[in-house]
Amino acid sequence: MPLIRKPPVEAAGTPASAPDAAAVFAALARGTDDERWSAARAAADLPDSVPALEDALRRERSPVVREALFSALAHIATTQSVEAVLRFLRSDDAAVRTEASDSLLAMKDVVWPYVAPLLRDANADVRILACGLVRDMPSQVAVSLCCGVLDSEAEPNVCAAAVEVLAEVGESSALPALERCAKRFSDAPFLTFSIQMAVGRVRSQAPKPRA
Amino acid sequence: MLEFPALTQDEFRRLCEFLYRRTGMTFTEAKRYYVERRVIERMTTTESSSFETYFARLRTDLQGEVEQFVNAFTINETYFYREEHQLTCLTSELLAERLKVKRPGDSIRIWSVPCSTGEEPYSIAIWLLENWRHVDDYHIEIVGSDIDTDAIALARAGAYGNRALTRLPPQVVEKYFVANGADSWQILDDLRGSVSFTRVNIVERAETKPHGQFDVIFCRNVLIYFDDLSRRTAAENLFENLYPGGFICLGHTESMSRISPLFDVARFSDAIVYQRPAR
Amino acid sequence: MTDDTAKRILVVDDAGLVRRYYRSALETAGFEVAEALNGLEALELLLGDRFDLVIVDVNMPQMDGVSFLQALRAKSLPLSSIPVLMVSTEAAPQRIATASAAGANFYMVKPLRPETLVQYASLLCGARNG
Repeated sequence: MPLIRKPPVEAAGTPASAPDAAAVFAALARGTDDERWSAARAAADLPDSVPALEDALRRERSPVVREALFSALAHIATTQSVEAVLRFLRSDDAAVRTEASDSLLAMKDVVWPYVAPLLRDANADVRILACGLVRDMPSQVAVSLCCGVLDSEAEPNVCAAAVEVLAEVGESSALPALERCAKRFSDAPFLTFSIQMAVGRVRSQAPKPRA
Repeated sequence: MLEFPALTQDEFRRLCEFLYRRTGMTFTEAKRYYVERRVIERMTTTESSSFETYFARLRTDLQGEVEQFVNAFTINETYFYREEHQLTCLTSELLAERLKVKRPGDSIRIWSVPCSTGEEPYSIAIWLLENWRHVDDYHIEIVGSDIDTDAIALARAGAYGNRALTRLPPQVVEKYFVANGADSWQILDDLRGSVSFTRVNIVERAETKPHGQFDVIFCRNVLIYFDDLSRRTAAENLFENLYPGGFICLGHTESMSRISPLFDVARFSDAIVYQRPAR
Repeated sequence: MTDDTAKRILVVDDAGLVRRYYRSALETAGFEVAEALNGLEALELLLGDRFDLVIVDVNMPQMDGVSFLQALRAKSLPLSSIPVLMVSTEAAPQRIATASAAGANFYMVKPLRPETLVQYASLLCGARNG
């Protein structure tokens, strides 16, 4: 029989000992692609690695290694790592913006205290990404934040992002803000359409028997 | 069961989008009937009076509703030669690709994770012996791993009921199993001894890394149960466990597009498969 | 040579309402529409079916529109020459230059008016490169 069997993996020795922090940080700074990737993953479990990870991100050109760096920061999930990731949200590179956003989404409730300030950021794309973070927050908070956006936001694409969230989590308390927004942007066909859809879905949430 | 009309187009699309974002599963129009049926089943069981009520339950994952909903599609009952199209793809496409970078005497390493009670890794072994013309030219190492040690113990024991064997041609059953009672079949010792089983949590790098690198990994219907961060970590671990150019097969409703950008997608006639980029 | 089969457009945007809006306008104009939520899903769908145009947003999870476009143009023909309309929230010169360098056939700023979307979709559907 050509099938071969090696000794069971667990018997192959004790699990690897804790990585040497100095070696990991050195590899982060100066290794090959594979070494930097591996070091980024190892750094997720090292104390005080956020500054080194952020530093590495500023210099990193490989999307695969960047992904591991952002993963490590998401894994750490502290206010320090959130703030590190936030600093990449305004990158000119769309790939970096996506990677940063995905990393924040993976950090869940650790990011929540930052969402309200992000909704007031000077950069419209950041405000749009913030609406994406709102979607995962508890419904009542999400509805309240989105309605706030609808009432104060000048940029139609940001309003659209808030409408998108309300179309999913919206309750009847959101209807007045939706209707006010529709009036403000009555000459923007996409917003009119979106708000109509959102209002329709919110209204149909009143439980009623189908039969 | 209460009578519910089918989902509207908008409801079906919203449900699919939610499930995709939450689990990575993709449902096309072709699957619509099954999705609707499942929604109706769950609406009845949860006494949801409308689609919106049920959808709110799903969105908030009330009492683990996402897992409840998804379970129907993964069908926890396993059997031999499940998803045969992927086995076909293995022997007609994937191994041919891997052979291009192999030298005589090299091993071919295949990982089945999660392997549950062993049907999948044993199926791979039998399929290769029956269908791969190069099976005698290379050393083939098959590893089956699962987080559930009870399942691993059963896999090592290699005893299965009639139901698990229903997809196997009779001559295959005769060749690789010995009857052991009315509803029990024992895998031949030779075959049983050729597959190694380990316990692994695919989210833990310390547990996955020692398994080394594989040519093909089968990782079906487990990533859908994870949250974003765990899914991401597991994908990175599996990436690390693949040779550059190696392949990973997910469940046929799963898409790597929701899980990780690390892999290239390769579309073969029998299956969609993901590949770690070659150097 | 006239082609009687309907033109097929792949709409790529992570916002469901945006995809729904484009679908509505394009289907009314006689196009067939398929949807993807991010660049990775778009690449998967493009490997399996013929499309005449891709409309892609820039900011999406997993894979942004620019990275998608770069990956698409690196594929072999005929897939690599499919026309791409890139849509973005702003028209900064650097963004347009990046889109152009990545291989976009056209660049538009959202939100789009339905008649504009249909007009440019029709124009681009016949416009294969090379």
